[in-house]
Amino acid sequence: MKKQLDLRGLTCPEPVLKTKKVVDQADVKEVEALVDSEVSVQNLARLARSQNLHFQSTRENGHHKVLISKDQTGTVETKHQTSTAATRDGAGGTIIFISKDSFGQGNSASLEKDHDFSLNLLNVFLQTVHQSGHEVRAVLLANSGVKLMDPQSPHQKVLSDLAQGGVEVLACGLCLDYYGLKEKVKTEQITNMFAICEYLFAADKVLSP
Amino acid sequence: MSNNNPKDLSSNDKRLTSNVKAAGCAAKMSSAELKQVLAGLPKIKSANLLAGIDNFEDAAVYKLNDDLAMVKSMDFFPPVLDDPYLFGQIAATNALSDIYAMGGKPTLALAMLVFPTCDLPLSTAAEILRGGADQVEKAGAIIAGGHSIQGAEVLYGLSVTGFVHPEKLLTNSGARAGDQIVMTKSLGTGVGLLALKAGLLDDDTKGMLVSSLTTLNDRAIDALAHLGTNTSHYIHACTDITGFGLIGHIQEMSKASKVSATINIKHLRFLPGVLEFARQGLVPAAAYGNRKSFETNVSYIKDFPLEFTDLLYDPQTAGGLIFAVADEHAEACLKALNGSGVAATIIGQFLEGIPGHIDITMN
Repeated sequence: MKKQLDLRGLTCPEPVLKTKKVVDQADVKEVEALVDSEVSVQNLARLARSQNLHFQSTRENGHHKVLISKDQTGTVETKHQTSTAATRDGAGGTIIFISKDSFGQGNSASLEKDHDFSLNLLNVFLQTVHQSGHEVRAVLLANSGVKLMDPQSPHQKVLSDLAQGGVEVLACGLCLDYYGLKEKVKTEQITNMFAICEYLFAADKVLSP
Repeated sequence: MSNNNPKDLSSNDKRLTSNVKAAGCAAKMSSAELKQVLAGLPKIKSANLLAGIDNFEDAAVYKLNDDLAMVKSMDFFPPVLDDPYLFGQIAATNALSDIYAMGGKPTLALAMLVFPTCDLPLSTAAEILRGGADQVEKAGAIIAGGHSIQGAEVLYGLSVTGFVHPEKLLTNSGARAGDQIVMTKSLGTGVGLLALKAGLLDDDTKGMLVSSLTTLNDRAIDALAHLGTNTSHYIHACTDITGFGLIGHIQEMSKASKVSATINIKHLRFLPGVLEFARQGLVPAAAYGNRKSFETNVSYIKDFPLEFTDLLYDPQTAGGLIFAVADEHAEACLKALNGSGVAATIIGQFLEGIPGHIDITMN
């Protein structure tokens, strides 16, 4: 039996309690719950995980639809995974790892002209990757490489093009913090060293221009 | 289920927490919001201001003379539970804690109350104030007045003034590479209060939660003060664990002190039941907010169960203290704390590294 719950407008811990009550009924095989906060989605994901049930969440016009079912057990799927969880699904692929805001190094790194050239070259590289159709799993940005994420940076465009093409674009949070960019970048694009390590070790190929 | 749970009672009485969205320190603004709001304020510099807004200190400290500094703080929040007397006690414990976190002793407090007189009986307000006053008395301080206004939602707290010898002042910014991190109390009041609200706590578990929430941090400071005359030479920094959770407050200290930190998850103490409640999805919204604000500077050396990392970000109300203690004195401090009945453990270490970076390990 499938049960539907409308839990919109309720605050924590009501959505979890109400869902648990229904999930605990033996004859219920599937629960579809509407909730209106990301917190409720995350809490329901934990509830499903604790009982080893299948969990799925989708976002639709202003609210979230959560599906918990007893038939398929053990997998948790959510579109908004934490950075560490994101590395658990299908590893491998090609990773582009950019740890400085330049493509190689010019004659003199201290010369502004040379640095601008190296930075532009990096932009050209990313554009070429985007247009070439090569399959890339993720672009990881660290150290001064995170400066490409600055919304004011002219290099932001190629990154959003890549992201729209399904490439994960992730920047090191520590580095964003250091360069004063953390507040300017979307949280789902911020990651940590643990996740960066996971990506690099799981990769089939790592390109570091 | 506990029969203290008011949720299932079909009473028409308005409950203290019925209007409250986020309780206790979970009601704090997020770190990012706070930063944004404070960004435009003028920077205050004064030779006598020993601690101000800069490093997200627990309280402001103003030097009166070479032997005396005044410590001032204020803290208030919406009800964390339905018992007004207990709420008063907890809010006062939390407010007094800021003074202890600077190494000081509270002397004088003023109460602050916002109260909907149309919705709730006046006796409720009286009980809140009585709970707060009793706790202030326990701390050896006095309540000498306050301010109250009408409002839609109950808010209560204290403005507390305390004193400290300028050389014994404990700030956020003094931790050094190699210092051991000593923590008092157990983690999990955010998850615990949510479980209480959900009516899932039995009497014993509720008792332990309430006891933690109403335990003053004074004994920890006293125990360390009795260690010797120059404790400040080896207790380098201190803060209390409140709304930003363990990780948030360690990160503030590590940023202010320009060191990195490592925390051993095995040495953390949790309140009974909270890991299981978190596992089932009883995680307060502010814990997710804290995770968002602070997780990017955290490296997990292992893949830890989610409920453990959730508790690292759990917003604490009236939480314990974190001390940065010189390595060679850490055991003595631990002994002094545990000897005076303060449950304390070494949970990690500050290291030379990227300020604000925290490694979570399990050895």
